[in-house]
Amino acid sequence: MSEREEWAQPELPPRSRGVIALLEENCTSCMLCVRECPDWCIYLDSHQETVEVPGGRPRQRNVLDRFAIDYALCMYCGICVEVCPFDALFWSPEHEYAATDVVELTHERDQLREWLGSVPPPPELDPAGPVPKEVAAARSQRAPG
Amino acid sequence: MTLIEGTTETVEFGQLTVEVPAEAWVAAATAARDLGLDCFDWLSAVDELDRFDVVLAVYSVETKQRVRLRTRVGRDAPRLTSLVPVFAGAAWHERETHEMFGIDFDGHPGPAPLLLPDGFEGHPLRKDFVLAARVAKQWPGEKEPGGASARRRARPLGVPEGWEQA
Repeated sequence: MSEREEWAQPELPPRSRGVIALLEENCTSCMLCVRECPDWCIYLDSHQETVEVPGGRPRQRNVLDRFAIDYALCMYCGICVEVCPFDALFWSPEHEYAATDVVELTHERDQLREWLGSVPPPPELDPAGPVPKEVAAARSQRAPG
Repeated sequence: MTLIEGTTETVEFGQLTVEVPAEAWVAAATAARDLGLDCFDWLSAVDELDRFDVVLAVYSVETKQRVRLRTRVGRDAPRLTSLVPVFAGAAWHERETHEMFGIDFDGHPGPAPLLLPDGFEGHPLRKDFVLAARVAKQWPGEKEPGGASARRRARPLGVPEGWEQA
């Protein structure tokens, strides 16, 4: 038998869908991702808390109790990432999280946060693409009217 | 010019599709084969709610042309004549269509289930077939943000009314 070759990391293409990371601070527990998920693999529990605002009336805010993604069910469609209005979910190319027990494939919020470390920066804008709205607006303001 | 009396031809998704009356199903398949569309690609059905469309895809090895033949069968006691005498390869496809949609193929040499386990009840590719996975599990989206009580109950997308467990 030949000696097993050293496992080499594959060269991953940009925007690889490995795992979904959660930036909890951005999550408002709005339930959009949970409701859009076609195979029902996101679990979210939250409760409301009253926050005292100095010089104002108290506000209600949602506090996240549980956020979990079951990667045994996930089909990597990315609809949750797309639908999130507050940029709380991100694709990470990290893909080596096989488990020996299926329950370990349900990643809870602390594990989903750890995946944030491998989220790549957003890709460069396509030089042939349209000018971003903000840039176009700034240019038109500067241009002598 | 049409292949067979009573057929209509359309181009769908860039591919020639011939609508065939159910009585002319075997005749149309035979004519297609004899015209050089001699390779049986696949056969299946579509549940159109008021009827089933049975679709046959044939291919010409020589001219690399693809043609689809399609016929309609009623939803109550759907049946169609088997194409096995025309294309022997249709046998497994008709078995699968039989178990998945409950369409009977007259003259099929062995219409036993092909993929479903013994004793399976129902026809899983019919649109009125209740998916056990959708009934056995509670929809995670039922909860409201902040655990509030819902003014209007949210419903899972794509799950028909009346599938919930009692």
